[in-house]
Amino acid sequence: MPTRLLRWAACLLSRQRHDWGQAMLGELGRLDGRIRQLRFMLGCLIAVLLLPPWGRAAAGVWAMIAVGSVGLYASVAIRYGLGAGDWVAAAILVVLLAGYLLAASALLRRPGVAIPGLLGGLFVALAWLAMKGFTFYGVIGTIPTMREKLVLVIGVPLAVGAAGTLRSRDPVIGRRVARLAAISAGLGLYFYATLAVAVLGAGGPPADTGWTVRNIISDRLGTNLVDLLLTTLVTATVGWAGAAAAARLRPSSPAPALPGPVIPAASPDPRHEA
Amino acid sequence: MQRNRPPSAQTIRVLRALAADPARWRYGYDLATEVRLKSGSLYPILVRLADRGLLDTSWEPGPASRPPRHLYRLTPAGREFAAALTAARADRTVPHPHGRWSEA
Repeated sequence: MPTRLLRWAACLLSRQRHDWGQAMLGELGRLDGRIRQLRFMLGCLIAVLLLPPWGRAAAGVWAMIAVGSVGLYASVAIRYGLGAGDWVAAAILVVLLAGYLLAASALLRRPGVAIPGLLGGLFVALAWLAMKGFTFYGVIGTIPTMREKLVLVIGVPLAVGAAGTLRSRDPVIGRRVARLAAISAGLGLYFYATLAVAVLGAGGPPADTGWTVRNIISDRLGTNLVDLLLTTLVTATVGWAGAAAAARLRPSSPAPALPGPVIPAASPDPRHEA
Repeated sequence: MQRNRPPSAQTIRVLRALAADPARWRYGYDLATEVRLKSGSLYPILVRLADRGLLDTSWEPGPASRPPRHLYRLTPAGREFAAALTAARADRTVPHPHGRWSEA
């Protein structure tokens, strides 16, 4: 398993860094002991995700958004004295965001995915916010109409996935673009929605009668979490379908094969050099 | 944006370990063990050193069932830089290399 995981991670490296992935695999193959192999593999996995040019910048941006979201959630929960259930939801949120960060970092390193995926995510997020009038009230207080649902749930993701495929002429890249767009839009929208709750509190749209301030805040935070999951899942799924459908409209060209490691032919054993 | 900054403490440890026997090729894992760095810290350092022409790399073919191993040693420029680091440490100043320690 460590070898398989590291081989997958090595594929995330850019073409210029391909040799380093092979180097890590070569070292892993020489290690004895499962624990030692796992530790080495985990370290290499982190190195792969953080190697320039995308690693640190991408990890930093996503981490800021995720930490900001968790911080906002915690500040709201503390301010309004929310119950244990909301803290359990916070723990789930942390795990979810960590998974999103990992997935986004991995996708960002795939060739041809980063810029279209991030732009696609921006497009999806802006579409959602535009339908809500770019207001906090609109984000947390309104229920989408059927027209909005058709546009946001079907139209926009389909367009993003299709654009990813048509631009790259590769449905595999198109599907990755759709996934990255889904994750980046989900993260951005969740942060915005949580900020809306932090700013509006229990204010804004009227709640059901008999609800306390805590009930309203808890409900809004919970809805944001569900929306994060649904937005990401739906955008990724429909975007995937759009990428696949676009491939049928345009023949794809296979991705170029990565070169193998450069092994000097008939070179003397370097350890015996003077 | 390119940044000029002195090498990190971990980078200096790696450079010194390689400079201790500059003609000898080293394996990655052995180097990590010697300088007490995890692989996640060592490989980005090696990548940066190689990008700046301070590290030479080579491959050692393995047996049929195993992948080849990567080998490392300092280039002449790397040896000069390591020597300069040692001298600067004696003077308690760290030089800026002609290469840049920013991201590739």
